[in-house]
Amino acid sequence: MDALQLVNTHVKLLAFDFLTVKPIPHEPTIFSRKGRRLSRAETVGIVVSRDFKPNRFIKFDIDDGTGCIPCILWLNQESSHHFSRCRPSNVRLIAQMAADFASQIQLGVIGRVRGKISSYRGNLQITVSDVVIERDPNSQILHWLDCLRLARNCYDKVVVLP
Amino acid sequence: MATIASGALVNLEELVPSSQHFKHGISLRVTGKLQDYDVETAVAVIVDRNASLKVDTQHLNISLRIGSTFQFIGELLLEPDNEAILKARVGRNMDGIDLNLYRQSLQLLRDFQAGR
Repeated sequence: MDALQLVNTHVKLLAFDFLTVKPIPHEPTIFSRKGRRLSRAETVGIVVSRDFKPNRFIKFDIDDGTGCIPCILWLNQESSHHFSRCRPSNVRLIAQMAADFASQIQLGVIGRVRGKISSYRGNLQITVSDVVIERDPNSQILHWLDCLRLARNCYDKVVVLP
Repeated sequence: MATIASGALVNLEELVPSSQHFKHGISLRVTGKLQDYDVETAVAVIVDRNASLKVDTQHLNISLRIGSTFQFIGELLLEPDNEAILKARVGRNMDGIDLNLYRQSLQLLRDFQAGR
């Protein structure tokens, strides 16, 4: 992995670490951690809250044992202006996929969530693009170890520009 | 939606009165094998090595089977006699978890957090 470039990579961060990333002024989709630019994140943890608004969104929290990461999955693709220029068949597929993810997000499941880092009313969150429900009870442990290894060997590396 | 407290990761053996986690109302995540379950009160008892903990499961909608391993997240309540019970808000079956790997990884995780 190019040590310089983390934008568009789903960085695996523990919640306590994720919650320290900082917004960059005038760049609403880019955040900063230890001087490195980030835009996407991946987390694994237990779903501990669920607020479902049909055809609008589902908000939920993922608890990985070090903190809770708020997540939002939009379910309004078929009514949103954002998708008005897309082919209706594609929008339907995206909406179906989001609805399928939403049905899988239940209290107590171990969810692996990927998406864009975003901020709502000053609070960090993940705007979800995909969800996998983990069946292996060891998946949380392996995610912790991944996060530790990546932080030490990649994300924390000081970048020295030539 | 209000911010929800993360359940601090603890081993049952660490839940002693001198522990920083042995406080009324603190949010915890505990793991252990189900030893006992009272259907009338919905109180379960989980064990791990030489320690045990009562867990109030009345708000959960999961199937509890004696001998299976479970993980619960909830708030610790200290009763007048200093006996602890976890009021669980989330629970899940964890059969298949490698508890030795879990304990070792938890220590690595704590060391990592302490070094930040």
